[in-house]
Amino acid sequence: MKIHDISFYIASFFIFGVLIASLKLSFSIIITIVGLAIVIFLFIGYFSAEGGSASGGKKSQKIIWLSALSLFIIIGAWYYFWWSNSQIKNFNIIFNEKINFQGVVIDEPERGNQQKLIISLKSSGSGKILIKLQQYPVFNYGDIIDFKGIIKKPEPASYADYLAKDGIFGVVSFPKTELIAENQGSKLKSTLFKFKEKVIVVFQKTLAPEKSAFLSGITLGERAEFSKEFKEAMNKSGTTHLVALSGYNITIIANTMMGLFIWVFSRRKSFVLSILVVSGFVLMTGAEASVVRAAIMGIIILLAGQVGRIYSFRNAIAIAAFLMVLFNPKILRFDIGFQLSFLALLGIVYLSPAIRKFFKMKDEPGFLLWRENLAATIGAQLAVAPLLMSAFGYFSFISFIPNILILGFMPLTMAVGFALGFLGLISYQLSVLLALFLNFFLSYEVFIIKFFGQFSGLEIKSFSLWLTAIYYLILITFIFRYKFPKKFL
Amino acid sequence: MSDSKKIFLTIFIFLALNVFVWQQILFHKPNKDTELYFFDVGQGDSQMVILPNNVKILIDGGPNDRVLGQLSSILSPFDRYIDLVVMSHPQTDHFAGLIGVLKRYKVGAFVFSGKKGLVKSFNDLEKAIKENQATVVVLGEGDKIKYLENKFDILSPSKNLLQSNEPNDWTLVMKMVSGGVKALFTGDIDSLVENSLIGKYYLGVDILKVAHHGSRFSSGKEFLAATAPKIAVIEVGKNSYGHPTKDALERLAFAGAQIFRTDRDGTVKLIINNRQINIFKTRPAEQ
Repeated sequence: MKIHDISFYIASFFIFGVLIASLKLSFSIIITIVGLAIVIFLFIGYFSAEGGSASGGKKSQKIIWLSALSLFIIIGAWYYFWWSNSQIKNFNIIFNEKINFQGVVIDEPERGNQQKLIISLKSSGSGKILIKLQQYPVFNYGDIIDFKGIIKKPEPASYADYLAKDGIFGVVSFPKTELIAENQGSKLKSTLFKFKEKVIVVFQKTLAPEKSAFLSGITLGERAEFSKEFKEAMNKSGTTHLVALSGYNITIIANTMMGLFIWVFSRRKSFVLSILVVSGFVLMTGAEASVVRAAIMGIIILLAGQVGRIYSFRNAIAIAAFLMVLFNPKILRFDIGFQLSFLALLGIVYLSPAIRKFFKMKDEPGFLLWRENLAATIGAQLAVAPLLMSAFGYFSFISFIPNILILGFMPLTMAVGFALGFLGLISYQLSVLLALFLNFFLSYEVFIIKFFGQFSGLEIKSFSLWLTAIYYLILITFIFRYKFPKKFL
Repeated sequence: MSDSKKIFLTIFIFLALNVFVWQQILFHKPNKDTELYFFDVGQGDSQMVILPNNVKILIDGGPNDRVLGQLSSILSPFDRYIDLVVMSHPQTDHFAGLIGVLKRYKVGAFVFSGKKGLVKSFNDLEKAIKENQATVVVLGEGDKIKYLENKFDILSPSKNLLQSNEPNDWTLVMKMVSGGVKALFTGDIDSLVENSLIGKYYLGVDILKVAHHGSRFSSGKEFLAATAPKIAVIEVGKNSYGHPTKDALERLAFAGAQIFRTDRDGTVKLIINNRQINIFKTRPAEQ
């Protein structure tokens, strides 16, 4: 087996191990499952080797490799248990008592009509806590604050799991606050956050609230300012993904930076600089799962171009997932952003081409890339449908219409949006002019979202595990039938 | 896209921009009527007066950024200027929304009674005023704001009331006269302040912003008799104080006022022209 195949299977088996561990199965059951799998692999391998033909030998060799690599399932499972145990060891919180405690804000606060701070305790225990506060007074990353309030365990269990993935085990609602010190965080992070805030202020000063919120979403992934109504319109029209940063934005930034730097620097230097800019962007936007995933893949793409290797999507996806799971194994099961990001990507990469073949769509992209966008949207939407239904109880059948109508204008909107952000830092008057131009696109996009947000889609309360399994089995069969007539494994 | 298509698209965009700019210049007529808005901002106060020629006065901003959505729904997206922002008194359900306004709109002057808030979020407001570079103006009893035939008389707070420990007593009470119609903005004053005004001023008005979200300690019988409003608007949202109270509602009904509530009627818009008032609500009455 070739080295890139081996690494692909190591990554996949490891991730699979983490997955079954996070389903809260006991370690002995997991070992039994893996043991059985290895026995079956070896059994099949033994008999196919009996056949004696050359291809049979190659095949059996591969199966023996696979059975050996299955051990990585156990390693993945063990890693998950080890990681979550060490996470629990690191906190010590006094629950359900009115206490004074001090903490430092360790991430950019989520804003809106309410502030949400993530703090790390500095006194009265240790660990991370989520704090809900009124919109004002405003607190920032790196603030040290004295609190008086009651720390509670998050509820319900699903919310507790969701917070626990980031090591947050307590929540406090509206405690008393007293600012003790400022700027106690990392210099780099606070500079990046401040820069981002300045750009958002430019948007707010030059555009109406809904449009500035939408623009902040598509360029910087900032979602705090959306009104409830607009959020619902985006959900109903299946356009929420536009304001969650993804590979799309990262690719645009990475390519633009590479293109800019190459004018001045050598290839190698431009490459390093581009990676630095992309990493800065990821940090600035709060390092959400989808952004990190996209950045890792973007870097792999750039790297592949750099060292002249053939770029394989299969491996890039697996390695990106592997690295992220290694960094935090809990996101695999408890971070819906991570799941949506990877499923949508798999849908675009594997399902969309199959769909194009199935419908015998022409190869050229069409006006404003409508064919490509249509296939990509349907592929991604089909891939995430069960997840959306079980997580949000909602799925929109017409979502491909608003998506085609909007996606074609997105690159230009984003590019002008970034330009507006930079220009606004230099001159307010000039930025107003540019905003006037951008306003046309934003008005159009916001109108489409609101218009299609009026229609109800399919509301589903629960989506059973079996149904989900059958659904994905059908999708995979469809992919094999139309995209990979032969070779995948 | 082919080159010719690109050129065509570029020309089209510039033509559209031209048409837009010129129509703004040539056909955008300034308003002649006075418009009065009672914004639906939840539990809190926010009113806007647009005088003829698009002179805008925002009185209070409600408890949060909801006021921004309200402003953008009535102002053109290119209108980023508010002439006066008035803070009735420094409590968060009146001023917190102003912080977002000051961050996004250029403001001519910031008007208040001179008393600063005791809550920490007031620092955020002061910072926003400073960054906005708005002129700060302190007004009190006896002062006036005038524009053409339109004027605002400041009836309160007196110097005595400013000594009070109760922030509600610091409220800037304003009586507006515009288009032959009178309106009274009362902030959060209670009956004691209301009664102190009765002997001093002629209070008769057409429109009353009901004091303190319909609290039982405001909108006293004598005060309502003196003001005799035809239209009374209560700015109120979900709250734990029982606002608007039954007592206040009954007294208003007894005084013969037509009552509007922002929690039920949404934003209430009044258009005033030559002694006539047209009333619009964003939420239709429930069947």
